[in-house]
Amino acid sequence: MERVKTGIHGLDEMLSGGFLPETANLVEGAPGTGKTTLGMQFIYNGATQFDQPGLILTFEEFPRQYYRDALSFGWDFKALEAQNKLRVVMTSPEVTKLDLQRVNGQVERMAAEIGAQRILIDSLSHFERMTTDPIELRGLVFEFINALKRLNFTCVLTRENPALLGEPGDVEDSGLAFVVDSYILLRYVEIESAVHKALLVLKLRGSNHDKEIREFTIGPDGMEVKTRFEDQEGIFTGTPRRRMRDAFAQAFPGANK
Amino acid sequence: MTNQDDMAARLMDDMDPKLLEFLRTKVNSFIKWDLVRFFHDNPHTTDTAENIARYAGRDPRTIESELIELTRSGVLEMQQVSNYKVYTLATDAEMRALIDRFILACDDRQFRVKAIYHVIRGMK
Repeated sequence: MERVKTGIHGLDEMLSGGFLPETANLVEGAPGTGKTTLGMQFIYNGATQFDQPGLILTFEEFPRQYYRDALSFGWDFKALEAQNKLRVVMTSPEVTKLDLQRVNGQVERMAAEIGAQRILIDSLSHFERMTTDPIELRGLVFEFINALKRLNFTCVLTRENPALLGEPGDVEDSGLAFVVDSYILLRYVEIESAVHKALLVLKLRGSNHDKEIREFTIGPDGMEVKTRFEDQEGIFTGTPRRRMRDAFAQAFPGANK
Repeated sequence: MTNQDDMAARLMDDMDPKLLEFLRTKVNSFIKWDLVRFFHDNPHTTDTAENIARYAGRDPRTIESELIELTRSGVLEMQQVSNYKVYTLATDAEMRALIDRFILACDDRQFRVKAIYHVIRGMK
């Protein structure tokens, strides 16, 4: 099956090769977990490694912030714009929603101009200012995602989750997980007085995927997904504990002999 | 005008004629200057006056009238998206090149001093 590779070390492997083409892929996490970095890397790798130009629609951050942040990873977004492989567009959900409803709206024209196949929406959380009704919100997002798919985009949509660790009340409750094709969760995890970052692919519609909770880091070259957390359980509570049998073995060495 | 004023005016006019005209006819207020810089730094911004005012940290009513004038002078373009008036940077390559030159020139303190003089004169 054809895949849209993220080019992120370890993530494509978890996704059985990458996202499915023309799908909506939600990345949710607390502030600073790396949602935007994942999205930018998806767009950058698409434009530079897979000949798939992209758009970034930002509803809050200034484009100049993206240029600066991307450059810190060695990704020159301004150069990509000059080569017609990228457009970083600052707008609002209200305008974008109406623009996508038009024939030959600005997003459509821009995508056609550079042949964009990928899009990063940063972030879906801003749709929440359009309505407080979760059912209406789900409808708005559903319509928005369908419009993006109609334009043949493979989308990464970020969404903020206020829970820094695994506090109660952080469970996805607006039903957005049902309208997207894949759902990736990023979390902070505290292990032995140090904060680590964990990634889980909760859902990948129409395909098998890795169910492990893996550690990831954000280094000078961007995001890198590593191996699963060894000898820990309850990772997504935010404060995992050593597995019972390992704790037992450590407390009573030789007990199994 | 005294001889001194005349000399100051001639000194202040000593800049690239295209930029001088740009200042006199298009960027004739500090808010417009801010907006030109904003659209230069964020060239694919597409939004309403209200949201642009929020990004710029200014009063929406003031911003709207300045956006309308920048549209009339060809620096920006306005589109009607359903009920919203949405502003973007002009697509005209010549205008974009002129804006680039203006922003680049602003890096020079001498140019900025002259530009401020013209903006203040234009506001009188």
